[in-house]
Amino acid sequence: MNRFRKFLASPKVSLAAFVLAIGLLMFSSVGGARAALTYYSENYVSRVQMYDIGVTLVENGENISWRDYASAGNGSWNETTGELLKHMLGEEEKIKIGKKYKEELCVRNSGTIDQYVRVSVYKYWTDAQGNKMQNLSPDLIDLNFTNAGGWIIDEASSTAERTVLYYNKVLKTGKTTPLFADSLTIDNMVATKVTQTKEEKGGYTTITTTYDYDGVQFCVEAKVDAVQDHNAQDAIWSAWGRRVSVSNGTLSLN
Amino acid sequence: MKKKTAFLTALAVILVLAASIDSAWAYFTTYAEAKGGHTLSLGDKTKVEEDFSAWTKHVSIQSDPDSEPVYIRVKAFCGSEYKLVFSDKSGKWSPGSDGYYYYGDIVNGGEATKELQVKIENVPKDVTDADSFNVVVIYESTPVLYKEDGTPYADWKNKVNTGTVKGGAVNE
Repeated sequence: MNRFRKFLASPKVSLAAFVLAIGLLMFSSVGGARAALTYYSENYVSRVQMYDIGVTLVENGENISWRDYASAGNGSWNETTGELLKHMLGEEEKIKIGKKYKEELCVRNSGTIDQYVRVSVYKYWTDAQGNKMQNLSPDLIDLNFTNAGGWIIDEASSTAERTVLYYNKVLKTGKTTPLFADSLTIDNMVATKVTQTKEEKGGYTTITTTYDYDGVQFCVEAKVDAVQDHNAQDAIWSAWGRRVSVSNGTLSLN
Repeated sequence: MKKKTAFLTALAVILVLAASIDSAWAYFTTYAEAKGGHTLSLGDKTKVEEDFSAWTKHVSIQSDPDSEPVYIRVKAFCGSEYKLVFSDKSGKWSPGSDGYYYYGDIVNGGEATKELQVKIENVPKDVTDADSFNVVVIYESTPVLYKEDGTPYADWKNKVNTGTVKGGAVNE
């Protein structure tokens, strides 16, 4: 035993062990480099699946606004806020009271995870300075909700000015919902809201009518919210503050 | 020493669990929004233009340049001893069952109707003062409304401007 210890402690053995260790280390490095070369050579492209959420508001088939988490994974968002009703009228064209204009609105999942979506639509009137006019009726801005294809109105959260709609199915990646609105009409009733003045002058009697809605602007605003489909009940309660039930992928309002 | 080690271990476990809870509360959410609108133009103003010659009123309705499109109708009254005869060379005016004469075209801002002639018949030969006649001309305008498909129409329950002219001639 003592002879074996002496043998191990001898400088020759230590030197041999050192050389052997270096040799093994070099051999293992070469092997790793070979493995790396083989891996990249055979597959060439390495794909990493990122789970990014994104949603787009679509008007008459055109993407208007979207907010998608950037694939770079650096916390940035790819987002654009567009304008609704921009192409409703031609140049120099004025709105025709009572005419039904095409206004087809829906939502597209522009992210890479499935999601649930809801839409909050606001209708209101503003003056020339953009101030909201509370005394004019939002009901006269008739945005026709389809109430079909899985869209349900949350009556408890809706008012004359605001309508909240939930899409009761999972919206898969890249898919678009059915329309939640399809037309817009300014009700003819706006022409009956008037103030009249009477003037008599030189044999004439003239009754002049001034419209309450003359010069005011109607506004339509749509906000789409999207949330992940995993653990949807808790996610919706946490993110939107609304109790819902999800059964077999179908959402219902509690 | 053992107690201190145990405390640090417990603290580390709590911190790890707390970090897990925090991540469980974070959900993937996003939103997109847009808004837009247009201004309504409903203001309109019209006035009657009238000439009187040869016991005939030549009536035309003029719309102000900044007025919105309107429909026009006219009615005239007089005493029972006289008779009013309407004539229209343009073919734009047509009588309604309610006694009004309706102008067929939409009158846009700055435009005027074609002339409608109202002739007073059975005038005594010794009458020379046209103002002594009590002939009343009423004109009314109403804004052009549209059906769902864009077809224009008039709703005469919704009159905008009403004008009345009395006498045989225009009094300015």
